[in-house]
Amino acid sequence: TELRLSHQWSNNDVRHKVAQIVADHVAEADVDLEIKIFGSKSLFKPREQYKPLSRGQLDMTVFPLSYAGGQQPAFNLTLMPGLVKNHDHAARLNDSEFMDEIEAKMAEDDVMTLVHGYLAGGFVGKDKCITKPADVDGLQMRAAGKAFEQMLAGAGASIASMSSADIYNAMQTGVLNAANTSSSSFVSYRIYEQVACYTPAGEVALWFMYQPLLMSKSKFESLTEEQQQALRDGAAKAEAFYLEEAKKEDSDSVQVFKDAGVEIATMTQEDFDAWREIAKATSYKNFVENVPDGQKLLDMALSVE
Amino acid sequence: MDPLILGALVAICTIAVLFSGVSVALGLLIVSGGFLVMFDGMRSLELMPELFFGSLNSFALLSIPMFIIMGASIASTRAGADLYEALERWLTRIPGGLVISNLGACALFAAMSGSSPATCAAIGKMGIPEMRKRGYPDGVAAGSIAAGGTLGILIPPSVTMIVYGIATETSIGRLFLAGVIPGLLLVVLFMAWSLFSTWKSGNAQVLTAGSYSWRQKFEILPRVLPFLIIILGVLYAMYGGIATPSETAAVGALLCIVIAMVIYKLWSPSGLWVILRDSTRESVMILFIIAAAGVFSYMLSSLFITQSIAEWIGTLDVNRWVLMGAINLFLLVAGFFLPPVAVILMAAPILMPIITIAGFDPIWFAVVLTINMEIGLISPPVGLNLYVINGIAPDISLKTILYGSLPFVGCMVLAIILLCIFPDLATWLPDAVMGDAV
Amino acid sequence: MAGQVTHRVARTGDNPFLKGVAALSTLAGWVSAAMIVVAVGITCQMIFVRAVLNQSTIWQTEMVVYLMIAATLIGLPYVQRLRGHVNVDLVPIALPPAARRVMACFTLTLSAAVVAVMLWYGFDYWHFAWERGWRSDTIWGVRLWIPYMALPVGFGLLLLQLIADLVALLLRIDAPFGLEES
Ligand code: NA
Ligand code: NA
Repeated sequence: TELRLSHQWSNNDVRHKVAQIVADHVAEADVDLEIKIFGSKSLFKPREQYKPLSRGQLDMTVFPLSYAGGQQPAFNLTLMPGLVKNHDHAARLNDSEFMDEIEAKMAEDDVMTLVHGYLAGGFVGKDKCITKPADVDGLQMRAAGKAFEQMLAGAGASIASMSSADIYNAMQTGVLNAANTSSSSFVSYRIYEQVACYTPAGEVALWFMYQPLLMSKSKFESLTEEQQQALRDGAAKAEAFYLEEAKKEDSDSVQVFKDAGVEIATMTQEDFDAWREIAKATSYKNFVENVPDGQKLLDMALSVE
Repeated sequence: MDPLILGALVAICTIAVLFSGVSVALGLLIVSGGFLVMFDGMRSLELMPELFFGSLNSFALLSIPMFIIMGASIASTRAGADLYEALERWLTRIPGGLVISNLGACALFAAMSGSSPATCAAIGKMGIPEMRKRGYPDGVAAGSIAAGGTLGILIPPSVTMIVYGIATETSIGRLFLAGVIPGLLLVVLFMAWSLFSTWKSGNAQVLTAGSYSWRQKFEILPRVLPFLIIILGVLYAMYGGIATPSETAAVGALLCIVIAMVIYKLWSPSGLWVILRDSTRESVMILFIIAAAGVFSYMLSSLFITQSIAEWIGTLDVNRWVLMGAINLFLLVAGFFLPPVAVILMAAPILMPIITIAGFDPIWFAVVLTINMEIGLISPPVGLNLYVINGIAPDISLKTILYGSLPFVGCMVLAIILLCIFPDLATWLPDAVMGDAV
Repeated sequence: MAGQVTHRVARTGDNPFLKGVAALSTLAGWVSAAMIVVAVGITCQMIFVRAVLNQSTIWQTEMVVYLMIAATLIGLPYVQRLRGHVNVDLVPIALPPAARRVMACFTLTLSAAVVAVMLWYGFDYWHFAWERGWRSDTIWGVRLWIPYMALPVGFGLLLLQLIADLVALLLRIDAPFGLEES
C-alpha cells in the first residue's frame, strides 16, 4: 500500500525530518506499507492541504492546523497568543482534555493526528525592539495568524497580510516596520539582513503554532493491524525528535541573528502578561464570539498547567 | 510504470492533443484529466476544479489583468501615434530615423504594457504604414515592429516575468529590473540591423527623409508627458516602498484609463468598452492557461514525473553549458508552438531544480527564458505578434513578415549568447537597486 | 496561417439556440469585465487606506483575488465566443476540408467532456463548502461557497458555449476552427 504525504517545507526542515522518520520506520517494519513524501509544496499549496485530506484525496500531511481555521473555527486556538508559554507547556497541552476536544473536531472531518508538535516564533523590528504592546503602536506589521493580527491591531499596529516569503522584500522596501513568524522562517528567509532587533522565543514566548502530522482517519482504519502499529511506533519516535528539535530551532535562530549583528531582546513575564491582556480583549474575545463552544474550549486550554 | 517512461508518454500525448487544434488551456486540462484518471484513480480527478481555483488564488497574479489594462487603454488612443511621432521629429536627422523611432517607441511602450501583442499593435498601427510610405522595404517595416513588439515581455512590466516569479518564488521586482538592460541591448541590436538592411536595400535616400523645425520638435513634447508620468510613477511606487507589483499595477491601470479619458478624450461608452473587452479577452486567455497549467503540473508531480526527471538530469554528467544549450533548444522549440505563459508554467517546476543545481542564477535564467519566448512570438506556427502584424497590414504576405523577422531572431540569439558571456547584463541592475539577492 | 482568414467571432446565423447562447456569453463577458474594473478600484482604495490613512486593510486583498478568479471563470464563455483562447492550428490548416470538420468535431467533443468534468466536480466542491460552512482563514472569514460558485457557473456557461459551437459546426453555420476556405 502506498500513502501520499504532502507538506510545504524543504528537505532540511525539521517538519520534513519528522515525516521522514515515520516513513523510514514504516519501511523498516516491512509491513507492505510505503509513505511517499511530496515536499516543498510540490503537490498542494500550503493552505490547500486540509481539504483534500478531509475528503480522502490525500493520505497524510504535516500541517499548521490553524490554516484550517476556516473549516473548523476551534482550530484557531492552536495559534492563539499567550496560550502556550514554552515548549514543555506545549508538550503537556498535547496530552490534555483540550487536545482531545480538538481531535474530536478533526474526527468530524475524517482526520486524525499521528504526531503532535509545536513550533515557536518571535518578533523582529526594522528599527527597534518589539517586546511589549506599546512598541508596536503605529507600526506597519505582518503577523502569522489572524489571532495575532487582531492582538497587534488592538495594540495599535496596522496590519499588512502577506506570506512569510514576502517579509524580506516588504521590509526592504519599507512597506513593513515589524513582523512576527516562526524561528525557522526568520532564518530561512534571511530576515536578519533587514532588521535591527530580534525578540526570540525564550523562557516565555507569545507565538506557538501547532503543526502536527495528520492522517486521513478512514485511510488509517483501512490498514491492517500491523501497518497501523508500524505507523504508531514511527509516530512515537518522531514526536520525541520533534520536541527536541523545536527547542533547538529557537536557540539556533538566536545564534544566526547574533552572528548577523542583530540586537537580541527578551520578553519579560510582565510584557507577556500585558500582551495577554490585550489578547483577551481582542483575539480571545473574538474567538469566543464566533465559535459556538468557544468559551469552553478556551477555558480548557487555559486550565493546562 | 517507470515515471520517466510515463513522462515521455505525457509529452507525446500533450503534443498530439495540442496539435489537434484544441485551445491550449483546454488541451492541458484534457491531458491532465486523462492521465489522472488512468494512473491515479478517480480521487485525483475530483481534485481538478479545486486545483484550478487554487492556482489562480494568488494576489501576485492580479497584476496580470492590471498590466494588460495599462497597455490596452493606451493602445486604444492615439497615444501610440503621438509617442512615435515625437520620436520621429527628434530623431529625423539620424540616418534611418524612422525605423529607429519606431523601435524606440516600441521600447517605451513596452515599459507601460505587460504584453507583447499590445505593444506590437499600438506602435504598428501607425508605424508600418508610415515606414512603407517612405520607401522602407516591407520586410524591414513589418519585421522591426514584430520584433520591437516582443520587448513588451522583456522590458518591465512583464506578464511572463510575473508568472515566472510566482512559479519559482523569485522576487517580481527583481525580475523586472533584470529585464531592463537586456531589453535596451536588444533595442540597440534591432536598430543596428534595421539600419544596415535599409542601407543595403539601396533606398539610401529614405534614411535622411523628412525634416522638422525646432518649433515642431518642442510642440509635440507635452503629448509624450503622460507616458513619462506613468512610467516614472510606476517605477517610484514599485521601488520606492509604496506598493507591491500588483498594487502598483492597479494604480497604473487606473492612471492609464484616466489619461485615456481626460487627455485623449475617450469618453464614449463604446470606446471604453473596446479597452475593457480587449483587456478582458487577453487576461482571461492568459489566466485560463495559468489555471490549467496548475492542474497539469499537479498531474506531473502526482505521477512523480517532475521529481524523476529532475533526479535523472542530476545524474547526467554533462558540462553545465551543454545543459544550458539543451535547455535553450527545448525552450525555443516549445516557444514555437506554445504561448510564453504556458511554456513557463510547464517548464518551471522541472527546470528550476536543474538550473539551481547547475549553478545558474534564476534571475539571469528568467531573462534568457524570456528572450526565448520572444523568439516564439515571431515564429510560426503560433506567433502572437505575427497575427497582430497580419491584422494591421493584411497586404504584406506572411512570408515577407517572416523573412523580415528572421534577422531579428538572429539579434535575439546574439543577445542570449552575450548574456551567457556577461551574466551581469541581467543581474547587475537588480543587485544595484535592491541589494544582493536573498 | 497559410492564406486562410480567421474570423473573430463565432457565428450564430438565424438559429435561436445559438443566438441565445451568444447573448448569454456576451452578458458573462460584461460581468467579467466589470469584475476586473471593480478589482482595480478596490486595490487602489486599499493602497490609499494603507499608505495615506495608515490603517489596516482587512478584506481588500482577498476580495480582489476572488474577483479576479471569478472574472476569469465567468469570462471563459465570452472569450470562447470571441475565439480568444489561443490554439495551435498548424495541423487543422493542413487538413483537407472534410478531415478538418471531423477534427473540429472531435476536439470540441473532447473539450466539452473535460469541461463537463470540471462542472460536475466544481459543483461538488461548491456544494461541499456550502454544506460544511467553510470559511476563508482570515479575519474577514468570507463564506467560501460564494467565491467557489464561480466554478460551476463559469464551467457551466463554457460548456454551453462549446455545445453551441459544436451545433454551429454540425449545422454548417460556422466553419471548423473558424478557418474560412480561401
Ligand atoms: Na513590458
Ligand atoms: Na511561435
